[in-house]
Amino acid sequence: MSIAVIGIAEVPTIRDPDRTRWDILLDVCMEAVRDAGIDKDDVHAVISPNPMAQPAMANDMALGKVPEVLGMKGCRDIAIANAGGTSNTNCLRIAKSLIEGGQADFVLIPHTTVQSDIPSEDLINFFATAPLDKQWEYPYGVTFNGSMGLITNRYMHETGATAEQMAAVTVSLRAWGALDPNSIFYGKPVTLEDVLNSRIVSTPLHAKECNLLADGGGAMVVTSHEIAKNFEKAVYQLGHGTRFMSATPFMRKDLFHRKAYRESSTDALAQAGLSINDMDVRQIYGAYPYTQCSALEGYGVCDEGQGAALWAEGRCGPGGDLPCTTMGDATGRGHTGSGVSMAFYLETVRQLRGEADDRQVPNCEHALLTTSGGSVMNTCTTIFGRSPR
Amino acid sequence: MSDYLKPLPEIQPHSKAFWDATKEHKFLIQHCKDCDSNIFYPRRDCPECWSNNLDWIEAGGQGTVYSFSVTYEGVEEKFVADLPIILAWVDLPEGPRINTNIINCEPEDVSIDMPVEVVYVQATDDVVIPYFQPVKR
Repeated sequence: MSIAVIGIAEVPTIRDPDRTRWDILLDVCMEAVRDAGIDKDDVHAVISPNPMAQPAMANDMALGKVPEVLGMKGCRDIAIANAGGTSNTNCLRIAKSLIEGGQADFVLIPHTTVQSDIPSEDLINFFATAPLDKQWEYPYGVTFNGSMGLITNRYMHETGATAEQMAAVTVSLRAWGALDPNSIFYGKPVTLEDVLNSRIVSTPLHAKECNLLADGGGAMVVTSHEIAKNFEKAVYQLGHGTRFMSATPFMRKDLFHRKAYRESSTDALAQAGLSINDMDVRQIYGAYPYTQCSALEGYGVCDEGQGAALWAEGRCGPGGDLPCTTMGDATGRGHTGSGVSMAFYLETVRQLRGEADDRQVPNCEHALLTTSGGSVMNTCTTIFGRSPR
Repeated sequence: MSDYLKPLPEIQPHSKAFWDATKEHKFLIQHCKDCDSNIFYPRRDCPECWSNNLDWIEAGGQGTVYSFSVTYEGVEEKFVADLPIILAWVDLPEGPRINTNIINCEPEDVSIDMPVEVVYVQATDDVVIPYFQPVKR
């Protein structure tokens, strides 16, 4: 028994402080329920990802405001999950447990985030101190970008990946984003020169290889496989595997997460009865370009150290034979805090429904999606399919 | 020394000995007397065997750069005067990998595998922070 997604909604990722958190939230909740074709009172639970760095909104979500404001009379309970970028993954796990336990037929998972009204100094502080150690990292001026720069530099040292190959990852991610009306970079592709000529933030990362913090939101309605068979647009979860590495990057033995990608995907694929070669698209949420390379190495799509070359050859971007990360990742779409993983799930559903328009992967039947939280503390890999097994 | 604007390390009861020692220009590594592990960062209990029979050894103060990243922007105001900051992970021969800055070094001179040595900087009257610098030849 597992779960299926039957309704989705998303607002475009932009920076606009006039679009409030609650406006986004109400819009995506109503649209996802309508997309599913159920009644609002059919929703038995609302499970929300924690909106990071927004404590008032987090309290509203944690303490039950969403079903109350929306008058969801059938709601039996609510919960909030905070695991950074994997918050939505945890929401799906809670939803699965409620559905399998007979407590819910339909669960709504809504995300909202507005970062454009938060002073940038506060956001830098939040993203530096939330996942990093306040005794052993923060006093040394470590930022999120600096932390990922340390990993990327070592990745390039060990694999021989060049600055041009690494920049090509961002070119492909932005090419996907340029095709996506929900991306902040819709219609705005970049060239290799644009990436390499952008300012250095933390070596070897250029500004265009880092994340633009933005506002966004999305929602999903999930149900059981059995109930989903009555819903034409259902997309089915077929397997799930997960591995934890470490909270603090410098403590990490599996620095590029290859082992975690390999083991979590092996577990997920085994449950689905599928192999990595059956996947029509690979959706990798890592937020920094090296993850797009090391994930392919971990999954066994290519040999260790060859991931960057695949991207540089254009094989993972639009039109390539190994399409990956068709929503552009945070670098190609805008970083909406805990919302990036929501956007990954929604894009995966669109691909499997055949509703991804200019980004549509032909004959997309199976998708692999890995989310990660914190400073890549974990890899949570899920297999989705157009049909149940 | 009260003009130190950057965040000070949040010292914990089980790391106090480390920060007391930096004031004496010593770099301590926590050591488990039951399973013989060298532990960094310091914990209340050994992360290998959960023993609380913990002690300290003094590190030699030498290390090699495992990775580095030179940060040019995107820091809070209190770090701006220090830019560019050379963030580094340094492997100590005693086993642990630590996070630090390489100081007294130009950004273009730092490299992976470079030998470095500890150097102590008085932050406030009560806190001395260990950094690393290139080994003087």
